[in-house]
This record gives sequence, C-alpha cells and structure tokens, in this order.
Amino acid sequence: MTAVHARPILSHRLKHAALAALGIGVTVGLALAAAPAALHAQTAPTGPIEITTGTSPGGTPDVLMRRAAKILNEQKIITNPLVVQNRTGGSWMVAANFVLGRPGDKNIVLCIAQPILTTPITQGLPTIYDKLTPISMFIQGDLVLVVQPSSTVQNLKDLVALAGQRERSVKVAGAQSGSTDHMVAGLVEKAGKVKLNYVPFDGGGAAQAAFLGGNVEMMTLTPSEALPLVKSGKARIIAILASERRTDPELKDIPTAKEQGYDIVWGQAWGLAGPPGLDAGTVKFWDDAIAKLVANPEWQASLKENFLRSKMVPASEVKAHLAKLHEEHLALLRDLGLAKQPAVQ
Amino acid sequence: MDVLASLAQGFEVAFTPTNLLFVLIGVTLGQLIGALPGIGPSAGMALLLPVTFGLEPVTALVMLAGIMYGGMYGGTLTSVLVNVPGEAASVMTAVDGNQLARKGRAGQALAVAAIGSFIAGVGAVIALVFLTPALSAFALRFSAPEYFLLALLGITATASLGTGSPVKAMIGAVLGLMIALVGTDPIQGTERLTFGSLDLMEGIDFLPVAIGIFGIAEIFASMEEPQNMQPVKTRLKDMWLTAKDWAECRMAILRGGLIGFVIGLMPGAGPTVASLLAYVVEKKASRHPERFGHGALDGVAAAESANNSAAHGAMVPMLALGIPGSASTAVLLAALVLLGIRPGPMLLTEQADLVWGLIASMFIGNVILLIMNLPMAPLFASVLRIPYSYLVPGILIISLVGAYAVSLSLFNVGLTLAFGVIGYLMIRADIPRAPLVLAVVLAQLMETSLRQSLMLSEGSLSIFVERPLSAVLALLVIGSLALPVVNVLLARRAARRAGVDRLVSHSSD
Repeated sequence: MTAVHARPILSHRLKHAALAALGIGVTVGLALAAAPAALHAQTAPTGPIEITTGTSPGGTPDVLMRRAAKILNEQKIITNPLVVQNRTGGSWMVAANFVLGRPGDKNIVLCIAQPILTTPITQGLPTIYDKLTPISMFIQGDLVLVVQPSSTVQNLKDLVALAGQRERSVKVAGAQSGSTDHMVAGLVEKAGKVKLNYVPFDGGGAAQAAFLGGNVEMMTLTPSEALPLVKSGKARIIAILASERRTDPELKDIPTAKEQGYDIVWGQAWGLAGPPGLDAGTVKFWDDAIAKLVANPEWQASLKENFLRSKMVPASEVKAHLAKLHEEHLALLRDLGLAKQPAVQ
Repeated sequence: MDVLASLAQGFEVAFTPTNLLFVLIGVTLGQLIGALPGIGPSAGMALLLPVTFGLEPVTALVMLAGIMYGGMYGGTLTSVLVNVPGEAASVMTAVDGNQLARKGRAGQALAVAAIGSFIAGVGAVIALVFLTPALSAFALRFSAPEYFLLALLGITATASLGTGSPVKAMIGAVLGLMIALVGTDPIQGTERLTFGSLDLMEGIDFLPVAIGIFGIAEIFASMEEPQNMQPVKTRLKDMWLTAKDWAECRMAILRGGLIGFVIGLMPGAGPTVASLLAYVVEKKASRHPERFGHGALDGVAAAESANNSAAHGAMVPMLALGIPGSASTAVLLAALVLLGIRPGPMLLTEQADLVWGLIASMFIGNVILLIMNLPMAPLFASVLRIPYSYLVPGILIISLVGAYAVSLSLFNVGLTLAFGVIGYLMIRADIPRAPLVLAVVLAQLMETSLRQSLMLSEGSLSIFVERPLSAVLALLVIGSLALPVVNVLLARRAARRAGVDRLVSHSSD
C-alpha cells in the first residue's frame, strides 16, 4: 500500500504578497480569456489525451484529475477522450520523465503536484518544472493542525509551550520525509523555535491510524480529513494554516496560525503542464478549457464538498508562479536539512 | 436486533436488479484481474473507476468491492496452474498449489481454494456485520511496534518454509531483505543502492521478483528436463474433492480464516502477511507437516482462506474510521470521495444504506464466486493437459505483460527476467524461493515500523514490551525462534536415550 494514501501534493506559501500576485493573476487571466483570438488561435489536439499522474490510483492528485477529466468530458468542454494514467515510481520522477521524453506531444499533459518540485530538491536532480510547458495551476487546498482530543493543548501557544519543555518530546505523525506534513512540522519548529519529533509514516492514511491510536500528539490534515474526526470526538483542530479565516460555516471558527502570532502559512495546489516545447495553440486550448472548468458550477461544488478551492493561475502567469513556489520549497527544505544542492543546470 | 434490521435493509438495497448485475460484473472482473499477474485488484479497481461515474454510489461500490475480493479468488488460478502468483497474497498458494498441480491434483487445489475462500469470506462478512465498531478500536491498538514484531514473526516463520534446511530458507529470506533495501530510505528519504537509477528510486517492486523467481525460473528449469514436460493425464472426474480431502482441510479453513481476518483488520498488515502466517500456523498444526512444500492441500486451504478473509477484514478500518487497510480499500475510499461522499468515522451512521448495501452485496458476491469457481475448477485444471511446450510461450507472455503493467515500464520486464535467472540458480542450489519473495514484501514493513517505534520511544527498546499487544507478539517471536532449538535438543536427548536403551538391550542378550 505504498504511497496510495500519501499526500504528494503541491503546497505553497500564500504570503500576502503572493496572494496579491495571485489575485492580479486571476484578473489578468480572465481578461486574456475574454479576448483569446487576439493572442493565439487555439488548436485542439486530435484523439485521446493522457493526463499523467505519479500517484497510485486513489491518491489525492489522481482523484482530482479524474474528477476534472470527468467534468471536462461530460460538459463537452473537451471532446477528446481524457485518460488519467498512473505512472508511479521515483516519487513522480517516472511520470515527469515520461512527459519530458515527449517534447511537443499534443496528446499528453502532466499533473503538477508537490513532488514535481520537491523530489528534484531532495534527491539532488535537475529541476523539472522549468523544462515543462506550464499550463495552469487551478486547485488549491488548506491545511489544519490537529491534536488529541484529550490533550491539554488548546491552541498553538500551548503546543509551542509544551514542545519547549523538552526537545523532541512532542511526537508528530505525517507522510514520508519531505512531504507536505514534514514541511509543516518544520514551519512550526521554525515559528515556535522548538524541536518536534517528526515520525514519517507510509502515507497519510498510516499516519492517521497512528494518530487515532494515540501514538502521537499532533498531525497535519486537510479540512475534509479533519472535520469528520472532530465531529466524532477523535481530534481537535488548533489552527488553520491559511492566510485568513475560511468563510465556510464548518471552518469559520478555526483561528489561523497568523492570528495566534505564528507566521505559518502553507497550503496545497495542483495544476497541469505540457511536455517541453508544446505549441502555443495547444496551450491556449487547455487554458480556455480550464477557464471553463473553473467557471463550471458542478466542478466548484465538487471541490467545495472537500473544502478545496479552484482559482485559476492562467498560462500567462503560471511560469512565474511555479518559479516562486520552487524558491519557497527550496528555502524550506534547506532549512529542514532535506535539500541536496540542485545539480548545476 | 438493530444490526439485523440494518442488514435486512442492506439486502433490500443489494437485491435490486441493477446492484445484483453490478456485483456479478465486479466479481467476474475481479476473478479475471486476480488471475492476470501484474494487474492486482487495486490497479484493476482504479482502471474501472471512471466506469463508475454516473452510477449510484452503492452500485459503484458493490462493483468495486466485488473486484477486490474477486481478485482473491482469481489469484489462485495462475499460482496453482503455472506457478505465477497473480498477486502478492497468492505466493503461499503457489508454493503448494503448483506442487499439487504437478501431481495431477490441480482440480482439488482450486476447489479447496474456492471453498476455503468462500467460507472464510462469508465468516469475515458476518464478523463485519456484528463487530465493526468494536473491532475498529482493536485495530487502532496496532501501531509501529506491533507491526515490527508481526513482520519479524513473518520473517522467522519463513525459516520453516521449504523442504530443506532452515538455514537455506534463511539464506533466501536474507537475500529478499537485501533486495528490499534498494530504493529510497523510508524514514530519511535518501536514496540507497540505486546507483543513480530513477527506476530503482522507489525500490524493486514485489511483482517482478515474484513473477521472475517463481514463473520464469520454473520455465528455465523445465528446459533442462524435457522428460518432465509431459502433460498431466488426469480425467475430469478425478479432479473433484474426495471426502478425505475435505476432512483434511476443514480445520485449515477455519484457522486460516480466523488468522486472516484478524490480520486484515490491522491497517498496516494485509492479505500477504495473513496468508503467510496462516500457512505457517497450519504447518505447525498439521498432522503431516512433512507434506508442506510438496503439495499439501491443507496448506493451500489455509493460505487461500486467510487472504480472502483478510481482504474483507480490511473493510473494518475503512468503514468505521475512513482509514484504508490495504491498497484496494484505498481505491474504495477514493471512489467514495469521487462520488461525493466523505469517508470517516461518521460513515456508518450517515450513509447506513450504502454501508449495509455494500456489506450485504459481499454475501451475494461470495456466493456467486463459489458458484463460478467450484464447477469450473476441473475445467481450469484441464489447461495442464496441454503439453508444457505449448504452454510455455503463453506463460511467458502473461508473465512479462504482467511485469510491464506494474508501472508501464520495460525496466520491470528486464528485472523480471533477471530474477528468473536468480530463481533458476536458487532451484539448482536447492534454496527455497518463497522466503525470498516474502522477505521482499515484509522488509519494508519491518524496517519502517522498527525505526518508527524507536522514534516514538525516543530510542528505548522497552516500547516492544510495555504495550500489551507487542509483549504478546514479542513472546511469539521468541517462541518461534526457541521452539526449533528445543525440539532439536529434545530429539537428541531422545535419540541418546534410545541409543542407551539399545545398548542396554544389547548387553542383555
């Protein structure tokens, strides 16, 4: 059951500046979408299109891509059959290399998720994101910190105080080394100036089992994972790592880490990229399709159910956006001592 | 009773024509997918995920679950007939099942596997009906220390596999542990023994090892002995179970089913560990342990019952807590999410119709699978009446396509052939092959959980005896290591005494 329930998800740090940039990005994107023919004519590929993911079936990015493919096809936004293909191995590097090895291929796109950025950093491989033809980042998610319901910890301050009593005394369960969970634990350590005991498990599901069994004090979850646990009295949420409070009724009472005086803002994001040298017409085809997807009420509703958001970073903005994400991941992984010097390009 | 009312309601849901049809489709596909090496039940379920779009959630789930346990029935076929395990949980079946097939008893092996899977499957669903909430609490008491000891128990147990010396079996197991070291360190995330190869970064998958070491090696070995390539000459009517066969296997099925269910409950173990431990326990309990490894029908019965009840047991943490107990249940959870249902501890109460419909469908599915497999067993077994020289190309194609399907890469095909050569050398050196394959499966669980345990205890070994469950498991491990030694000592003493007796009796005449 390796990596099946792992959360290889792209996290990004939505600082105020980043958020502002994103906001501008969305506006510009919409403006561009309104006048498409002016820039490039879109050309639709012929035949089926493969969406390559690097997770096993059932992993979060896999589920998201399958759902996007379903709506794109059902709503006739894209009429080519969309096939989600799982090319697992090498922490997404097998999938990435498969797409990198098909320059200019119009019938394949790669799901962009966290390991596309982090695996090259942690394994000291050449970067990948800048070799692909970026299309769009269009799914975002938040993270929450949970503690045991019986714990004396009520908020981040308590947690930091507890961890400060003795180094490594607070145990944190999470997915594999270098995962979102691990990076969040690193951010907590940094913001609270404490040392946690991070125990990596074989994916988010196994980590959750360890948490529910009372073996660890804390873990990072997505809101959709955390809320059912809270409802059944198996966990307590102490903070959401978004830049501002969520407005959903279930989440509006959860204070952000920032409110509590700790600058921990981290989230997740997913998107699509094409192989190197993908022609502008095909990029435009995808850009338009994703703009329609993001505007689709069924798509928005299906994401909302899982407390995810869908704001589009369009093709014109996404390159800079990814570069920024890469820098943030590199800096954090260096802090955590997990980064190998990236190979000289 | 409350539970029975819910179950009756579940049957109402499951017995609608649409749902019945999709249970039938699911288990038939599962049977096929299980039989093909490479595509395990979880991959098959994922392939069919898009098909479930637009279906009622309950219909989609009963079909996907059908593939999951149908695969446990199907995996038996290739293991017994051509010694290629269709999925990891069938390795133990291959060990004795294929030996039986060579003796012309493939029909019996398949039949007992079907009956064992059925009884264990239905038993597991009954346990699921009455005990899910209680069992889920039990399942959570297993964590890293328990998994380590369980995996260790599995490794020590492999010493008793094979027919030769335990030392040779341990050599096989150690080779397997070494193979499992290749890849990414599970805790630090650094590469080891990959020599910079991306294909090796996530380690060597179990399937190329199993397909190579069992299936391909067998073909290499058979080329040396053309006289052994005679087809099996058994008439159809000789392929049924006799009353004697059945008497031999009854208890094996019960024991195997029980062990399988308990191990299936734990979110970290799985059908593979379950079938291994059930097989080893059966060997200890059997009145003829010497037959194990040479074609013991009760060995097949125990392993097959265990893997099917483990597949059902894995539903407990999934339904009660929303935690996947296996790769297959992870896909089921994904399907739930895709259908707009949030899994978690509230599933049992919020989606009662769905959960009980699913549980009821598993009764129906198991009955269908029994009906499908039992009469067909002799027919499938007749495949072996085809001369081996004609079968070989087919086996090779199925094996290599299976290896390719694991990650859609040719690298695994090469790996499979390389392991075929290793397996051939092991046959020549008389080193049993099952310990190696099982060690590859168990090594990751063992290593990760050992390191997690020590991180949780901040370096103290006492974590393995402080927790009640791990203390029991630790005793079992010590027992399994000490027993053979004690046995040897006792045997020696008995031999010495017998020697003395003989001397005495000699002197008397």
